[in-house]
Amino acid sequence: MSRSLKKGPYVDEALFRKVQQARLSSSHLPIRTWSRACTIVPEFVGVHFEVHNGKTFVKVYVTEDMVGHKLGEFAPTRTFRAHTARQAAAK
Amino acid sequence: MPRVAGVDIPPQKRIDVSLRYIFGIGPTRAAEILRKANIDPSVRANKLSEEEVSRVASVIESDYVVEGQLRRQIQQNIARLREIRCYRGIRHIRGLPVRGQRTRTNARTRKGPKKTVAGKKGIKEMHRG
Repeated sequence: MSRSLKKGPYVDEALFRKVQQARLSSSHLPIRTWSRACTIVPEFVGVHFEVHNGKTFVKVYVTEDMVGHKLGEFAPTRTFRAHTARQAAAK
Repeated sequence: MPRVAGVDIPPQKRIDVSLRYIFGIGPTRAAEILRKANIDPSVRANKLSEEEVSRVASVIESDYVVEGQLRRQIQQNIARLREIRCYRGIRHIRGLPVRGQRTRTNARTRKGPKKTVAGKKGIKEMHRG
């Protein structure tokens, strides 16, 4: 079910403050965060993030198209495993 | 034969049914369109006057996205997801279900025909023998 409109998008407040600070000081250092559930708001565009995927931090550079998605959508938590052609033949 | 929304030529069915042959128009929208155009849905499509057909056409054109344009819109939405490399985009790229369905079994619509991994059973039998 989608979130109630009354509440507005979920934005991690501490992270939002950090983003604003970074924008003011025009620093391009990536912002480390665990806040995967935080919605990307227009203020985040052009900021570098490092989003935790449960193990490491994944670099995410926010573009305009990403607004409205959540940070976690860009930091996959699972490793994709598939059989390669060679693996299949070796069996 | 009436011609609505470009190439579509719905046949001699009730107009509400024949409108559904247009990509992007289902039961609900067909009813909506006819209500807006003020046309009885039970009339056969070929019994409509020229003027009525053009009324239907203009309603569709002004209020709905259908056919090629709709298809393009859908493709663009998917292309956007792929491009920003978000989770849903990655699922589209990999050809796996996008909306959180299980993939341990089923998911054949997205994954296509079964690719059997040969030898799984065979290896066990070889060890025994």
